[in-house]
Amino acid sequence: MVVSFVVVGLAGTRMKRLEWGGWVAVAFSAAALLVGLLIGVGEMLSPGSYTDRQYTWLHLPPAPGAFPHGVSLVVGTLVDPISALMLIVVTVVGFLVMLYSIEYMHRDQGLPRYYSELSLFLAAMSGLVISDNLLEFFIFWELVGLCSYFLIGFYYERPAVASAAKEAFLVTRVGDVMFLLGVFVYFYYYATSGPAGGWAANGFVFTRGTAPFLAGSMGGSSPLLTVAGIMILGGAAGKSAQFPLHVWLPDAMVGPTTVSALIHAATMVAAGVYLLAVTSLFLGFTAVDQLAIVAVGGFTAFFAATMAVVHPDIKRVIAYSTISQLGYMVMAVGAGFAMVGLFHLFTHAFFKALLFLAAGSVIHALGTQDLFKMGGLRKPMRLTAACFAIGGLALAGIPPFAGFWSKDDVLSSVYSQLGAHPAYWPFFLLAFATVFLTGYYIFRAWFLAFSGETVRDPTLPHPHEPPWVMTVPMVVLSALAVASGLLIFVPSFQSLLLVGAGATGIPPTFSTTDLLLSSASVALAAAGILVAWSLWGNGRVVPTEIGFAESVRRLLLNRYYFKAGYDWIGAKGVYTVARAADFFDQFVIDGTIHGFERIFGSLSDRLRRIQSGFVSDYAAYIVAGLITVFVLLLLVAPYVVSRIGGG
Amino acid sequence: MTDLSVVGFLGLSSALLAVGIFGVLTRRNFILLLISIEIAMNAAILNFVYFAGFLGGTSGLTGQAIAVVLIGFAATEVAVGLGIVLALNRAKGTINVAQATELRL
Amino acid sequence: MLPLLSLILVSLAVGTVATFFAGTRARYVALAVSAVFLAEVGLLFLSYPGWPGYNGALVPGFAESESYPWIHLSWMQINYTVGVDGISLVFILLTAVLQLATVVYSWTEDRRPAAYFGLVLLTCFGCFGVFVALDVLLFFLFWEAVLVPMFFLIGFWGGPRRRYAALKFFVYTHVASIVMLVGLLALVFYSGASSFDFSAIYASARTLAAVPQTFLFVALFFGFGVKFPIVPFHTWLPDAHVEAPTGASVLLAGLLLKLGGYGLIRWAVEVLPSGFHNAQPLLYAVAFLSIIWGSVLSLSQRDLKRLVAYSSINHMGIVLLAIALDSSLGLLAAVFLMFAHGVVSGLMFMVSGSVHHTFGTRDIPNVGGITPTTPALSTMIMVGSLASLGLPALIGFPAEFSAFLATWNALGYWVFIPLGILVVTAAFYLWMMQRVLFGPARGIPGDARDVPWYEGAGMGILVAFTVLFGVLPGLLVNVIASSPVKGFPGT
Repeated sequence: MVVSFVVVGLAGTRMKRLEWGGWVAVAFSAAALLVGLLIGVGEMLSPGSYTDRQYTWLHLPPAPGAFPHGVSLVVGTLVDPISALMLIVVTVVGFLVMLYSIEYMHRDQGLPRYYSELSLFLAAMSGLVISDNLLEFFIFWELVGLCSYFLIGFYYERPAVASAAKEAFLVTRVGDVMFLLGVFVYFYYYATSGPAGGWAANGFVFTRGTAPFLAGSMGGSSPLLTVAGIMILGGAAGKSAQFPLHVWLPDAMVGPTTVSALIHAATMVAAGVYLLAVTSLFLGFTAVDQLAIVAVGGFTAFFAATMAVVHPDIKRVIAYSTISQLGYMVMAVGAGFAMVGLFHLFTHAFFKALLFLAAGSVIHALGTQDLFKMGGLRKPMRLTAACFAIGGLALAGIPPFAGFWSKDDVLSSVYSQLGAHPAYWPFFLLAFATVFLTGYYIFRAWFLAFSGETVRDPTLPHPHEPPWVMTVPMVVLSALAVASGLLIFVPSFQSLLLVGAGATGIPPTFSTTDLLLSSASVALAAAGILVAWSLWGNGRVVPTEIGFAESVRRLLLNRYYFKAGYDWIGAKGVYTVARAADFFDQFVIDGTIHGFERIFGSLSDRLRRIQSGFVSDYAAYIVAGLITVFVLLLLVAPYVVSRIGGG
Repeated sequence: MTDLSVVGFLGLSSALLAVGIFGVLTRRNFILLLISIEIAMNAAILNFVYFAGFLGGTSGLTGQAIAVVLIGFAATEVAVGLGIVLALNRAKGTINVAQATELRL
Repeated sequence: MLPLLSLILVSLAVGTVATFFAGTRARYVALAVSAVFLAEVGLLFLSYPGWPGYNGALVPGFAESESYPWIHLSWMQINYTVGVDGISLVFILLTAVLQLATVVYSWTEDRRPAAYFGLVLLTCFGCFGVFVALDVLLFFLFWEAVLVPMFFLIGFWGGPRRRYAALKFFVYTHVASIVMLVGLLALVFYSGASSFDFSAIYASARTLAAVPQTFLFVALFFGFGVKFPIVPFHTWLPDAHVEAPTGASVLLAGLLLKLGGYGLIRWAVEVLPSGFHNAQPLLYAVAFLSIIWGSVLSLSQRDLKRLVAYSSINHMGIVLLAIALDSSLGLLAAVFLMFAHGVVSGLMFMVSGSVHHTFGTRDIPNVGGITPTTPALSTMIMVGSLASLGLPALIGFPAEFSAFLATWNALGYWVFIPLGILVVTAAFYLWMMQRVLFGPARGIPGDARDVPWYEGAGMGILVAFTVLFGVLPGLLVNVIASSPVKGFPGT
């Protein structure tokens, strides 16, 4: 069943050059949605069940050391609570975005390419979710990265787009390389020190469904495992745009908004969190790893939120918010509560996709992404304004919207670990402060776009509400943005999370959260919204950003100069080295060879002179040669023979 | 015959050879060059004839036969040589070998 | 007991000669010969090792072998001995695939087509011979037989600096093969082998003391290494590639570089274990140097062909690294990588050639935004680049994965060097794609059309293999792993 699902997704890529190609893709994604929901409901009804099918992909010959029996690489499909949860996210958002695209993209060129790449992405993402070992995970991981590259580069004629696509691929590639090394280390670790039997006997089969080998090792210590964990963290940081590999995601916003909603908000960027969660549940991190993960997540959450505060581009504001929210999830996983992180991933996928689709609706109507050109959209686009507000409230963490439940769980789970390690404190505080920033920046965007009397830039077209194919997904997602958090009170969903947690990482408490903590965070978020209202409400525009010195604002707009720094390293540093190496190659290495050539050339030039053309000279050489031979034969040869003592 | 005569004959033919080689190396006139080559050649023929007589019998006959063949060779060689002389004269208007330096790159 | 290998060899030779004399119909003859060749090799491949002609006992370790006396003197026994095991079989398949793709790609070659196609076939004939020869003299004859047609292909059909490039190519490889010949002869005579046969040398040379083995190994390593090419003896490669006609570039990168790798595995690594062991540090150093050097230099290239040429140095560096690891996993990875690189670099040179034909230049800064004009060509460029930078589901990934896993297993954190260089490799390919494929259109002539059918078909053959073995690498790996060398499980 699950295999057929992947096949269905792939089949979506087959349709080409059809006018109704988009509808074919929608139909396929609807089928995928059906399968995904069936699996998800099935998991909820019978929690704890999992189905694992495996096939040997490749059997590699042995190598002395870790792999005396060779290495078996398998591919398999694994359906368990975690993958079911992710599968629901992927298929629901995938289907809605596909539907939304019909209207949003209909004016663009190259639609077959768009739909086939999006279908391929859905197939690869589903494959990633249900893959049952790290290698297979990596393969699909790369494929979704490829689709992301293609889709960011959809408007490839623009230089900025081409550059952003390259940047996204390259920065995630850095993470991928670390991920790959992490895979090697885990392979090595299990082949040498994993439990005997099972896979050790048969070369090496790496399965996460069968036995959570190191589930008990969370917080343990082993140098090799620490390295492996850091490498996995590096991979996740690349994909989930965590510090310091965060630079690509804001630039990726040059792709179509639908792509931003699906790939760069709901699913692919969450794959990094998913990877961390899976690793923590089935392989385990050491204490050092956990600290590193919490640090990266907590710092990124705050760091990205600050950049969202001043940005004028509506999509980039949401993109920074994505990075920030991903930081929350990473932090929860690092603190040892993988399922809390996944729960936040689950809710975040819906409200963030909602925010992007609502923003897409605005962009579709006005043709600009600049917040300062918008304004007063509340009246002509009532539905969109409401949807954006729901998404914003969910993001800010106002009850009863989804973000409240999950974000609160993240904060309380990290809070519960503060006693375990004092170094968690600063990152917890950073994450806590982020709540305020989140409320502020998302409602700053809302007020700028929707409040006020009229659109600020009069040259823009008259705004209008989009047709049903765009509003239906938004409404559905709005409903989910409310309901997905309340799912926590549904017992079967709760047990899904609990069972998925396996032996460890059981979420602290879902219903009896620390009241003080949650009321404090709600108050902070509300304060953020109030500040936003007081500054930007009713269509006000603050001429210079109050509270921020101009230099700070420029620092934030320039993203702390990280992008410029990386560009400098790439363009100036590496490229200069490459030019120098090229010079060395052409003039030193080749120069040496040409030097030899010149030496022999001039030697032969000199030797050539004796070939004068005078017959008499040649005769003289003959005579001289003859005499030399005679001398050698008659005088030297007997002497040599007598010395050697030969016959 | 005595050893002295062997030495004498060898001395004679060596001298002839030396004269021939000297001529080859120094003369610029093609015809003189040919004559020098003939002189050197005759030194070899003289040796064959002498040693044929010296050894006698069937071995001697071999030497005489070779000498006769060599005389034939010398004649053909001169014929070819003179042909070259004529060709050279026709092409260059001279029979000075110093003028014919095409034998090089 | 059919002498199948000899039959293939003879049919290929006859076909080559026929092509030379076929005049204007040469391409049809060449196509037929290539198709038959591929069919034969495909049969050989699919039925390995349990196929009807199997007579493994003759030369131990080889699934199919033949041996006939050739030159027998009191002090040397030279035989005509040919045979294949899994390793050579993979290279033979590569030869057949590239030959067919090259012939199709060059379909409308109109400058002396008979000579062109004949020389292409002759090159492949020589490569096939190298891969099946199990006798030193036979091996060397085929080895040299490859040089000559390639020299003429570059020198006659090449670009503006073709004379320089052809000469450089010839001198470099010839000097190397002289050193190699000395090494091989020393191998025979110094070890006191009973004949020039591989099995005889294998039996006697392995028992030599470590010091002479080391000298012999280093000599052979130099001889084979220049073909690889190893840094710093690599500068012939970019020049030869840039000047060579596209078909010759494909064969040069796809096959000729592999001769070095195959030779090193067959005639040095297997035969001289102690020498190999002593020279391992040298091999590592050269491999790492080549990996870094090739990749960094690719970054600074303007000419598309030069870029691919330097990336070949990088990839062959990984091959050398995998060989140097001294494990069957590494050896498998090396062979697999060479096959992958053969197919992918062939594809990359074809697209470079097509870019040149279509836009009149290969200079990356001078042509850009070609995707709307030539979507098919752009797709090929993408597939080739992505395969080359090791994207899963394409052939480069399983090969590189095996190589890096073996490296990690043997060298630990040293694997960071080739892994880190992967990022640079990705960088130069992505940068190239950004400039050539995307962005606003630059330097596109008004009459630019997408690739003609024959060029597309030539590339399509290679793309098909790239995807096939990328998704199902087991097809290839199982054949390689059935070679009874280096502790492979054996047939």
